[in-house]
Amino acid sequence: MGAFGRFFKNMNRNAAMLVMVLPATLWFIFFSYLPMAGMIIAFKEYRYSRDGFLASIIESKWVGLQNFKFLFSTNDAYIITRNTVVYNIFFIVLGLVIAVAMAIMLAEITNKRLAKVYQTGMFLPYFLSWVIVGYFVFSFLSLDRGVVNQVAGWFGIDPMNWYSDPTYWPIIIVVVFLWKSVGYNSVIYLAAIMGIDKSLYEAAMIDGANKWQQIRNITLPMLTPLITILTLLAIGKIFYADFGLFYQVPRDSGTLYSVTNVIDTYVYRGLKSTGEIGMSTAAGLYQSLIGFVLVITSNGIVRKFNKDNALF
Amino acid sequence: MGRKTKSFTAALSLLLVMSIVLSACGGGKNESSEGTAEKPVELIWYTIGTPQKDVNKVMEEVSKYTAEKIGVTVKMNMIDWGDYSQKLQVMTASGEAVDIMFTSSWAFDYVQSARKGAFMQIDDLLKEHGQGIMETLDPAFLEGSKIDGHNYGIPANKELPAQEVWRFNKQYVDKYKLDTSSVYTLESLEPLLKTIKENEPDVYPFAVDKNQMPYVPYDYVIEKLPMAVSLDTTDYKIVNVLDTPEMKQILSTMHKYYKAGYIPTEAATMDSMTDVQTTGKWFADRATSQPFADNLWSASYGYPVVSTPASEALIYNWSVMGSMQAISANSKYPEKAMEFLNLLNTDPVLRNMVDSGIEGVHYKKAGDNVMENLDESKNYDMPTFSLGNVMLTYLNTTDPTNKWEEFKKFNDAGVQAPLLGFNFDTSKVTTEIASVNNVKEEYWAALMTGTVDPETYLARANEKFKAAGLDKIMAEAQRQLDEWRAANK
Amino acid sequence: MSAQTTKGRDFHKLTPVWNVAFHAVAGIFALLCVFPFLFVTVISFTDESTLAKNGYQLFPEKWSVEAYTYLFKAGDQLLRSYGVTIAVTVIGTVIGVVFTALFAYAISRHSFKYRNFFAFFAFFTMLFNGGLVPTYIVVTQLLGLKDSIWALILPLAVNAFYIMILRTFFSTMVPDAIIESGKIDGAGEFGIFFKLVLPLSLPGLATIALFSTLGYWNDWFNALLYINTPNLVPLQSMLMRIENSMQFIMQNSQNASLSMGVLQSMPQDTSRMAMVVLATGPIVFAYPFFQRYFIQGLTVGAVKE
Repeated sequence: MGAFGRFFKNMNRNAAMLVMVLPATLWFIFFSYLPMAGMIIAFKEYRYSRDGFLASIIESKWVGLQNFKFLFSTNDAYIITRNTVVYNIFFIVLGLVIAVAMAIMLAEITNKRLAKVYQTGMFLPYFLSWVIVGYFVFSFLSLDRGVVNQVAGWFGIDPMNWYSDPTYWPIIIVVVFLWKSVGYNSVIYLAAIMGIDKSLYEAAMIDGANKWQQIRNITLPMLTPLITILTLLAIGKIFYADFGLFYQVPRDSGTLYSVTNVIDTYVYRGLKSTGEIGMSTAAGLYQSLIGFVLVITSNGIVRKFNKDNALF
Repeated sequence: MGRKTKSFTAALSLLLVMSIVLSACGGGKNESSEGTAEKPVELIWYTIGTPQKDVNKVMEEVSKYTAEKIGVTVKMNMIDWGDYSQKLQVMTASGEAVDIMFTSSWAFDYVQSARKGAFMQIDDLLKEHGQGIMETLDPAFLEGSKIDGHNYGIPANKELPAQEVWRFNKQYVDKYKLDTSSVYTLESLEPLLKTIKENEPDVYPFAVDKNQMPYVPYDYVIEKLPMAVSLDTTDYKIVNVLDTPEMKQILSTMHKYYKAGYIPTEAATMDSMTDVQTTGKWFADRATSQPFADNLWSASYGYPVVSTPASEALIYNWSVMGSMQAISANSKYPEKAMEFLNLLNTDPVLRNMVDSGIEGVHYKKAGDNVMENLDESKNYDMPTFSLGNVMLTYLNTTDPTNKWEEFKKFNDAGVQAPLLGFNFDTSKVTTEIASVNNVKEEYWAALMTGTVDPETYLARANEKFKAAGLDKIMAEAQRQLDEWRAANK
Repeated sequence: MSAQTTKGRDFHKLTPVWNVAFHAVAGIFALLCVFPFLFVTVISFTDESTLAKNGYQLFPEKWSVEAYTYLFKAGDQLLRSYGVTIAVTVIGTVIGVVFTALFAYAISRHSFKYRNFFAFFAFFTMLFNGGLVPTYIVVTQLLGLKDSIWALILPLAVNAFYIMILRTFFSTMVPDAIIESGKIDGAGEFGIFFKLVLPLSLPGLATIALFSTLGYWNDWFNALLYINTPNLVPLQSMLMRIENSMQFIMQNSQNASLSMGVLQSMPQDTSRMAMVVLATGPIVFAYPFFQRYFIQGLTVGAVKE
C-alpha cells in the first residue's frame, strides 16, 4: 500500500479537478514544455545537420555563455536595460491607473448606450499594426508636413525636427503606448466591475455611502485581486519590450536610440547580419530568467500579505 | 513539498519520453532515388515572390516536360518577398524536407545560410550533372559565390557587375537644358542641383533616403559595415572606411548639400522615395544600373528617366549573389536536383515555361525568341531574375532585339572587385558584430544622408565603433583575407 | 420599497457634474481612438497620386476606390480567406474558452490539492518558451499539422495569461457559499461548474472569449509558418503578407534586379489602408455581441443577492 495507495486516494478526491486540468495540461506539454527543450540552443553555436533538428542540436558545438555576451559587452547594455525597465514601469503604473479609471467611468456613466459606444471606440487602436501607427505619428510629427509643426507655425514657433531630437520621445512613446493599450486593458476591469455582487452596493447605499465612497470601499477592493495578478504578470515581462512601438514608431531613427533602444530592438539590430539562433535564444532566456526571478520575489511578497491574491 | 517534487519528476520523465519520440520522427530517411520518366521523383522547390494563382497548373506542365527529360516532377512553393527569409530560416533550421531553394545576398542570406549548413556543397555535383551550367555561366559567377573554396549555390546568369549611375528626371533636364554628360562625381552634381533648387521649390533636387550610401571606391567586407579595402589596393589592407579621405570628403559634401536644401530634410528616416517617384517631384538620385535600365525605369514611373555613370562597372560578391538557387543539405535527390537546375539554366523551353507559363494560355509567341503576354499572365507573373538564367528568356515585344548581347557585353566589361570570392567567416566575432551593428544603425543613416555634420559625428561614431570591437573584427577579417590570398595565389 | 429606491438612486447615480465629466473624459479618449481609424478609412478612399502629392488629408482633393479594386482583384481568394478566418476564430475561441475555463476553475478551488502546482505549471509557460524553431518542429513533425487548419487553431488555443485572469474572476466573483450549496444538493464537480459557476461568470468568460477571438482574428504568423495551401490562408495573413512584402521591397529598393523586377507591380499606400479597413470592419461589428454579455453579467449579478 504505502505511498502508492495514498496517491490513488488523493487522486480520487481530486479526480474531477485533474480531469478538468487535463486538456490544457496536454496543450502546455505539447506547445510549451516540449519546445522548451530548445532552450539548450542558447549554449550552442547552432549549425544545421542534414539529419534533422535533434542531430543539429547534438552535433552543434557547446559555447558556454558565449551567446549571452553580446547583451553585456558594450555601454549600450546599460542604456537598453534602463530603457526597457523604466518604460515598462511607466507602462505598468500608468496603464493600470488609467485603465482602471476608464473602466470605473464607463461603469458609472448613466447612459449605457453611449458607454458602449465609447468602449467600442477605445478598442479600435488595438487593430492598427505598429507600422500604421507609425505612419500616423509621422503625419503629426513630420518636419515639413506634420500637423504639430504646422500648428506651431501659426504661433510663430520654429518647426522642430522631432525625429532627431530625443527630448520629447519618452513622453511620445508612453502616450502612444497608453493610447493603444488602455481600451484593451479596461475591458478586463470593466468585466470585473460588472461581476461584482450588486447587493454590496445596495447595502452601502442604505448605509448612506455616496458614489465615491462606494468606489473606494467596494469597487477598488473587489478589483484588488485582479490588479495584483495583472501587475505580477506584467512584472514578469519587464525585460521585454514591444518591438513595433520602439522600432516602427520612432522610424528607427538613429539619433533617438538613447531613448528608444530597448533589449528587443538591440537584439534585432545586432543579429540582423549574422542571424545566430543561439544568440536570439540566449537573449530570450535572459529576459525570461530576470522576469522569473522578479515575479517569484514579488509573488512572495504578495503571499505574505494575502495568500489568495498570489499567483501560486 | 515532497509530493510536488514527485509530480514534477513525473512531468519531466514524460518530457523525456516525448523528446525521444520527437527524435525518432526527426531522423533522416534515405530512400534510393528512382527518377526515370516512368517513375519520376518529386523535387520540392521554394522560391521567392508573390504567390501566383496558376503555379500548380504551370508546374504540372513543367513536370510533364521534366519527367520525360530527366525523370523529375516539380512542386513549387512561392513565399512572398517580406516573409521569405524568415520562413526559410525556420524551415532549414528545423530540417524540413526541401530540395531546391532560392537564396541571395539580400533575402535568405546565402553566405550566412551556407555557413550554418543549410545547403549542400555542390562542387562534385556541378562537375557531374551541371556541365551545362559551367558552360553558359560566366566563370566569375561561380568563382565569386565560393565560400571557403566551395560552391553552395548556382547564381542566375544575369548582369554580373554593379554599376552606379546618377538618374535624372528628364523633364527637368530638358526644361533647364542641363548637361548631364559632365556629371560623374558627387561634387560635379552641384551646379545642376543648384539650378533646380532655385527654380523648382516643390522638387527634391537630390532624392536620398535612409538606404542610400554615397559611392566610395572601396569594396566592403560586409555590406554596410565600415570595413573595406580600396578598389585599387595592392596590399589588401582592410581599413575603417569612415577614416578614409574619400569618405570624409563625400560626407562633408553630402552635409553641404543637406544644408543647402538639396536633400530631403527627413532623408535619414525615409524608408523609400516611392511617393516622390510616383509624383515625379524629384530631379536626381543614384541607383544601380544594368543595360537598358533607363527604359525599365521610365516604363515603371510613367515618365522618362535618363542616367549617366557614377562609377565603373565592378563585380562584387553581392552583385554575383543577387539571385541563386541552392540544393538543400537534406535533399533526398541531390543529383536529380542538380540535373533539374542544369536544365533550367540551359533549356529555353523549360526556362520560359517556368518564367512565363504555358504557351497559348499565359503568353503567345510573337517571333523566334519574342513573346507577348496574354490576359491570363496576371495569374502567373513571375520575377524573372530569381529563376535562373535570364538570358534564355524570350524578349517582350517592347524589348530591344540586342538585349542579351548587351548584357553579355556589360558582363565582359565588368572589372573584378578585390574581395570577389572572399567571404568573411564571422563565427569567431559574432558578439562584436552584434554590437558593431547596433552602432552602425545608430549613426549610419544620419551620416550617409548628410543630415549630421561629419566633423563632430564621425569622431563620435568611430569612438563607439572602437568600443564595440570594430578593431577586433577587422583584425580577424584581415587574418582570413591574408589566408585566402595565400591560398588563391 | 419604491420610496427606498428613489432615495437610493441619489446615491446610486453620479451627480450630474461628475456624470458630464466622465462623459467628457471617456468620450474624448474614445474619439482620439476612433479618429485615426476614420482617417485610415478616408485615406483608403483617397486617390493614390493625390495622396503622394498632398500627404494624408481628412478631405482629400480626389476620391478613389482604386485600392479596393486592387484588393478585390484577388476576389474569391479574399472571400475564402474571410471564411478561413471566421472558421478558425469560432472553433478556436470555443476550444480555447472551454480549456481555459476548466483549467482556471480547477486551480481557483481551494479543495484542489495540486492547485499551486498547476498554477505554476501554467504560469511558467508565460515566461519561458523554446523559441520558434522547436515549436515549429513540434507542430509540423510531431503533431503533423503542416498545411492543416488545426495549425492555425491549436497553437493559440490556450494562454496562461487568460487562465490567470479567469482564475481571479472565479475566485473573487463566485462565492464559496454557492459551491457549497451545490454540494449539498448533491451535484458533482462538473455539475457545479456548468450549472452554477459558469452562469455567474459570464463577464469573465466574455472577456476571455473576446481576447481569444481577437487573438485568432489578428493572427497571421502561424499561417506564415504552417500554411502553404492558398485555400487555407486566413485574412490577416494574406494582408500582412502584402504589407510585409511592400516594406521589404521598399527597403531593398536600392537592389537593382529587385527594384526593376517588381517595383511596378507593387501595391500602393492606399491599398495598405484599405487592408486595415477590410480586416477590422467585421470584427468591430461583432464587438457589441460581446458587450451584451457584460451587460448580462450586470443583471446576473443583481439576481445573485
